[in-house]
Amino acid sequence: MAMGMPYGLQAMLKEGHKHFSGVEEAVMKNIEACKALAQMTKTSLGPNGMNKMVINHLEKLFVTSDASTIVTEMDVYHPAAKLLVMAAKAQAGEVGDATNLVLTLAGELLGNAEVLLRDGLHTSEIAEGYQRASDKALSVLESLVLPGTDTLDVKDKAAVALRLRGAISSKQLGYEDLLAPLIAEACIDVVPSNPHNFNVDNVRIVKIMGGALPDSQVVKGMVLKRDAEGSVKCVENAKVVVYAQGVDTSGPETKGTVLIKSAEELEGYSRSEEEKLEQYVKAIADSGAKVIVSGGAIGEMAMHFIEKYGLLALRIPSKFDMRRFCRATGAVAIVKLQAPQPDELGFAKQIEVREVGGANCVVLQQDASLGSVATLVLRGSTEGFLDDVERAVDDGINAYKALCRDARCVPAGGASEIEMARQVADFGKKQTGLDQYAIARFAEALEVVPRTIAENSGLQASEVLARLYAAHAQGQVNAGVCIESGAPKDLAAEGIMDVYAAKWWAVRLATDAVVTVLKVDQIIMAKQAGGPKPRAGDGDDD
Amino acid sequence: MMPMMGMQPQIILLKEGTDTSQGTPQLVSNINACMALADTVRTTLGPRGMDKLIHDDKGRVTISNDGATIMKLLDVVHPAAKTLVDVSLSQDAEVGDGTTTVVILSGEFLREAKPFVEEGVHPRSIIKSYRQACNLAVSKVKELSVSLEGKGDDEKRELLLKCAATSLNSKLVSGEREFFAKMCVDAVSCLDASTLDLKMIGMKKVIGGGLRDSFLVDGVAFKKTFSYAGFEQQPKSFNNPKILLLNIELELKSEKENAEIRLDDPAQYQSIVDAEWNIIYDKLAKCADSGAQIVLSRLAIGDLGTQYFADRGIFCAGRVPEDDLQRMAKATGARMQTTVNNLDKAVLGTCERFEERQVGGERYNLFTGCTKARTATIVLRGGSEQFIDEAERSLHDAIMIVRRALKHAHVVAGGGAIDMELSRALRDHARSIPGKAQLFINAYAKALEAIPRQLCDNAGFDATDVLNKLRQKHALADGSGKYYGVDVNSGGVVNTFDAFVWEPALVKLNAIQSATEAACLILSVDETVKNPRSEAPDASPMGGRGGGMRGRGRGRGMMRR
Repeated sequence: MAMGMPYGLQAMLKEGHKHFSGVEEAVMKNIEACKALAQMTKTSLGPNGMNKMVINHLEKLFVTSDASTIVTEMDVYHPAAKLLVMAAKAQAGEVGDATNLVLTLAGELLGNAEVLLRDGLHTSEIAEGYQRASDKALSVLESLVLPGTDTLDVKDKAAVALRLRGAISSKQLGYEDLLAPLIAEACIDVVPSNPHNFNVDNVRIVKIMGGALPDSQVVKGMVLKRDAEGSVKCVENAKVVVYAQGVDTSGPETKGTVLIKSAEELEGYSRSEEEKLEQYVKAIADSGAKVIVSGGAIGEMAMHFIEKYGLLALRIPSKFDMRRFCRATGAVAIVKLQAPQPDELGFAKQIEVREVGGANCVVLQQDASLGSVATLVLRGSTEGFLDDVERAVDDGINAYKALCRDARCVPAGGASEIEMARQVADFGKKQTGLDQYAIARFAEALEVVPRTIAENSGLQASEVLARLYAAHAQGQVNAGVCIESGAPKDLAAEGIMDVYAAKWWAVRLATDAVVTVLKVDQIIMAKQAGGPKPRAGDGDDD
Repeated sequence: MMPMMGMQPQIILLKEGTDTSQGTPQLVSNINACMALADTVRTTLGPRGMDKLIHDDKGRVTISNDGATIMKLLDVVHPAAKTLVDVSLSQDAEVGDGTTTVVILSGEFLREAKPFVEEGVHPRSIIKSYRQACNLAVSKVKELSVSLEGKGDDEKRELLLKCAATSLNSKLVSGEREFFAKMCVDAVSCLDASTLDLKMIGMKKVIGGGLRDSFLVDGVAFKKTFSYAGFEQQPKSFNNPKILLLNIELELKSEKENAEIRLDDPAQYQSIVDAEWNIIYDKLAKCADSGAQIVLSRLAIGDLGTQYFADRGIFCAGRVPEDDLQRMAKATGARMQTTVNNLDKAVLGTCERFEERQVGGERYNLFTGCTKARTATIVLRGGSEQFIDEAERSLHDAIMIVRRALKHAHVVAGGGAIDMELSRALRDHARSIPGKAQLFINAYAKALEAIPRQLCDNAGFDATDVLNKLRQKHALADGSGKYYGVDVNSGGVVNTFDAFVWEPALVKLNAIQSATEAACLILSVDETVKNPRSEAPDASPMGGRGGGMRGRGRGRGMMRR
């Protein structure tokens, strides 16, 4: 500690702050942290990527190879590494797929930047070079779009399933042939006439333990993991009335006491309440509704009359489920317990209680023309496995959304990356400034994709890369890594393709994140405030 | 406590206290954990399997050989080993039996994979072959299974008996398996064929007597509820009674909590008291007028009600457990009433006979010969509480098996015969594959042999000897030996299909698929990241602060280094 009065920053800030500056202390350390993060997720890239077991701070176990889940759940602390995590999250939000590509590419770019820094380049030159290289790469990527992929009939199940295979196979290799058609079916069920308005929220996933993955199925409509309340368990072609609140005798919100003045009033009190309730339920039954859905509890007395009039009673406590249920049936949720108007009633083709894997579920089936919710019922032996499949399905649904907006596809299996690398390297050689080096390094970084795919598949990475370059030099721009043999192969012919938009955003976001990290030259961390630890999630103090 | 300038700051990527471990050693340690777990249950497999006594933290003692029960009680914390617990629970939910089998199979698949992993084979290659082998095994089971569709009812019944007996054979009650198998099949055949709702089979346990004293009621039975004075005068047996089910209190009490009575004139006081009595008398009268001879309520029936009903020759019981009451509704066709207004004949149910009977040290209300019976109750008797508990679990498994067999009428030969045949088929297939997949499929085939091997080990036979005999039988070119399995009685091999050791194909299918999925899941993990547990939101403020202090203290230590 300096003697006497502290000077400089120390004098300005409270005791306990942390402060790093300069290339050695700040930039290098940041790079190192980001590299460490990328190293972790790298092994999960590609179809043969390994899973990670992450136990988050709530002791929940995740077994997954989905990069966005991994980085979110492992709670990254380092501020620079967090920038990468944010880039990955942005990717997840934008396209919902290829998050690992962002992390891996960014890690590799930073690793290469470190070499350049040691060579004496200035961070701004590297950043500049990377920017230009990425612009070039993206324009190359556009030229790589496979001919004929820009138009896709998003209602054609077979064609869609083929496109989705790529996204699924990178998460659940071996199940893509099973899952892709299921996802395609579910998505096509709910896609509106203008595919641009496809809403991911309309495809639901319900996980039920037991059975095996091949037992999974698509239900046109909804599946709720609970039983119907009453003894009526199945109705067909029924009108549906939905109450947002509970179905019970209504009481005032304000605390009140009923004042009884005479014996007659006392005797008539509960009788009148009963009659009132019966009147309501009768009005509902008279309106033609056969199903009552309630957002809250259904009172015992109400249940009695519901039984009496032979209605099916269903309780949906989740507001989200309730909203979807309304959407699926076209019902209007009524807030007050009153007789429904004809236009407030919804319609259900069939509602029945089915036993799935030891649990009773309410299944709402709709015709394709009605409603707009589809549910994928996933079956599997363990919770962890189901969670992971769910994430793969999520990616698949997001890929469908991306396809609806931009159906263009590029060659997969590292083919686009190698081609980008090749052309960017050529482009770099034509540059006169110092950014030439940075552009060359950018090209090199792109190699990480085929390299990692090869490494994760237990192949000789360098050999595979050399053969790929040779193939691309001969004009086979679609040649990617074959994970079986390691030989260059046109994977598009097998129907394995990557969505153009996902790749475009991944390169873009990775470059942006890297440039941001590089441009930081000082880190100042204020002293942590005392007192109880801030809650996780909102108190990450950087 | 300022950080020293110029000192190398530590790079902290993850939060302090985070554990990470990765690579092959991590995978191997996961495999070891799973194998250890599988080893704890393996001795419970089969008819000669041993039971486990589990003493939990609350001091409860459970004796069981049901895989799912043991796994649940073990309270496993290892993240990878938890997967195995999940598998056995999912098998329990889906099929109800074969829970030990599925754990042993997963453990064995991992055991066989371990040497390959240690040698540096990429786990993905193993996973791929395992999945391939699983698909082959599944199609082979489907091919080998014998369909029971289109058989006559008697024949089908015979067959269900066989399946139930096979399941019970491996349980504590194996000595009485024929007796219980019949009971299970009878109980399930009572149910509504379309849903086969398990909740409609009630299971009551009464300590005392022998297992043989257990009996099945083709209706509902429940323990006599708490009764008030006057109960003794009520008739205790009826033929074809009318039954009324209620969900209201028949007691003198205030009508509503939020009602208040204010009187201007003291003379009115008596009229209010009278009104309250009127209300209860009115209710009771309505019950009696409905023509019901038996009144059951989920809520209390007070002493006034009890006496009132006794005077009119009506039997009543209050505070009947809800599930019993629901089964009553199913069995008798009565509808549960929440009000006594507008009672009509349609809401009353009936049964052939009602009586109160002494069972062991307790009195039971029995409703038998129900007309619309879609329900049954099993009353279990036995020497000790643990024993009856285990018998209940065994019967549950057997009932599930019968249910499955009814829904999915395919059976395979038990006693390890099907496993041996699958193993042989996979080995044959493996020989046709070039490349390393051959090794992995062979390993999978070897893992399947664990079932007959364990059956022998548990029965005290020389497993190697028996297994070789089995291999010879299954290798016969004409396929005549495909039904041979372990004979636990003689220590030799026997055609288990002819010996009627059958299991539903579904049990085997689900076990193989689940076990493979679990094994693949564990193999596919190469890194574990464990975050420090954050304070539970409901922890006391003191505890929370303490945790925070500890966290900070440790953090400083790290930074000073």
